[in-house]
Amino acid sequence: MKRQLPIAIAATIGFITLFGWFVEEPTIKSFVDDDATQWFDILASFAMFLGALNLLKMQAMKVIRKQRGWPYAALAIAGFTFSFTAGFIMLGAYSVEITEFSNSASIAPILAGEINQDVLGTQNILSVIPPGDTYTIRAPYFTEGGAESVVEQINAAGGTAEIRAAEWGAHIATRGSLFNWMFRFIFTPLSATMFALLAFFVASASFRAFKIRNFEATLLLISGIIIMLGRVPIGGNISAWFIFYIVVLALAAGVNTWFKNRTYTLIAVVGGLLVVTIAGFITGWPIDQPGIFYLPVLQDWIYNNPNVAGARAIMIGIGLGIFASSIRYILGIEKSYIGE
Amino acid sequence: MKDKQFWSVAGIIFALFMIYWFAGHPYFVAERSVMFWAILIVGGILIYSTRMAKRGEKIFLRSIPGLKAVEEAVGRSTEMGKPVLYVPGIVDMDQVETVAGVVVLGHVAKMTARYETSLNVPVARAIVMKAARESCRESYLIEGRPDLFHDDMVHYLTDDQFAYAAGVNGIMIREEPAACLYMGKFYAESLLLAETGNSIGAIQIAGTASPSQIPFFVTACDYTLIGEEFFAASAYLSQEPELMGGVKGQDYLKILVIAVTILATLFNFFHDLNWISWDVLGYLTVQ
Repeated sequence: MKRQLPIAIAATIGFITLFGWFVEEPTIKSFVDDDATQWFDILASFAMFLGALNLLKMQAMKVIRKQRGWPYAALAIAGFTFSFTAGFIMLGAYSVEITEFSNSASIAPILAGEINQDVLGTQNILSVIPPGDTYTIRAPYFTEGGAESVVEQINAAGGTAEIRAAEWGAHIATRGSLFNWMFRFIFTPLSATMFALLAFFVASASFRAFKIRNFEATLLLISGIIIMLGRVPIGGNISAWFIFYIVVLALAAGVNTWFKNRTYTLIAVVGGLLVVTIAGFITGWPIDQPGIFYLPVLQDWIYNNPNVAGARAIMIGIGLGIFASSIRYILGIEKSYIGE
Repeated sequence: MKDKQFWSVAGIIFALFMIYWFAGHPYFVAERSVMFWAILIVGGILIYSTRMAKRGEKIFLRSIPGLKAVEEAVGRSTEMGKPVLYVPGIVDMDQVETVAGVVVLGHVAKMTARYETSLNVPVARAIVMKAARESCRESYLIEGRPDLFHDDMVHYLTDDQFAYAAGVNGIMIREEPAACLYMGKFYAESLLLAETGNSIGAIQIAGTASPSQIPFFVTACDYTLIGEEFFAASAYLSQEPELMGGVKGQDYLKILVIAVTILATLFNFFHDLNWISWDVLGYLTVQ
């Protein structure tokens, strides 16, 4: 029963989802399009608790046992605690709203310090606000106490100010709140750093891939160079005749390797160069002719023909693989995913 | 279910469906009928191949170096006394690649249990953690080594893509696993993981159906299971006739796809020349 039930559930939901796409019936359509995915989201949300608890347990054990790299585990726990606090416990988004500022000369020095402006500039800001309107200090305060001290100062200076707290839930998206500050100034830069590392890894990986080891690697190197050069402006400025000369020399190198005969090689080099030069003089050396040797045209052909053909072959294989796997799961032929 | 019973039930269902079809098939989205029949045909071929394999038909699976290397990688880890790191992708169980990744994990866990090698599976989704844990537990049980299994060998890191990559990279640098296996759906983190694995000198095997990540894995890993090879991994590693039959079915389907592609190209060519009026592309395009 423990095994049969999950397979039965997977098979039923799988069949409904698969064949529901062919049925014009609102209930089934709404189940396939909305309900089923919402169920999954709800399940995933609950599972998050399991994940979070597992993470804390693992890291705590590392710290307690002083395992290798335990300070990182301590940092992970601290980060988790901080995020949790900023998200669920501490609102961290209190703003100060000034409702009365007729005595702007005495309020301006206090306000100037809060909004990083000079006193004169702050006075100008206050002077253009129509009577009856309010002024809210944009950057919210992380603590109620911080906002309160500013309110007290403004009130003491003859103005009227109040504390406005952001709504729970909305506080994580409120610009300048504690959670939002953490997201913008800690999380985002760290993520960007990881992403930026990719540039260096691409370089090191490309270096290895482009090393000439065999025919395939050579082909990859040549196509890579053509694609890279053909896609940047400088590629358009390289004459097709220059590439033509390179091709002739490469062919001559091939002749040399194949026949291992100096005379043949000399004939190939001289004959080839002469043919290209004469052809160039006759046609007037147009930069983009012959088109087959013009890098932007050549890269376009490589990109849209051999590349697309290979990619489509892989995609058809992947499509069949996904379909066959799905059928295996739906029919209960493959049961390893439930631990059988 | 025995063959006779199975085909009888399938025949009855098909007959009932044909009655429904000829009765005007109410509620059916007619524009998608090509896709529907394609699914029936493809499904039929797969089921047929599976049942043939189950009946004892000999099935040849070509050698896949990447899958052969899995056991080598685990063996190498055993010799070096270092753990095996297994990354089942960064998406949830609603993606078939993740499911396939968990399935392969089960086979890898059997090997690590057999060789008494430490296995480390950091995951990016809590549901995947539960599924992967069950799969590993069962594998250790089947191999008769439940004592070697512990829940924390499959552990959750984070849902965030780059935080997860940073976490896994940290594990690689600190623990220096001798083998890193990446099987599942990956995005931009693929190269971050594979290059770090390369830098620590681990033997690396990747399997994915994410076309844009295949070049990165090919470059940075020792072996890469490309697309369908990845989905065939379970059959190859388990050598179970039912699963191998499915792989053979896929090969039949490839022949069918090639035939349909050639015929459609020809018909489209004739249509463009105004020799025939039937627009094959309009018919085959799924609405």
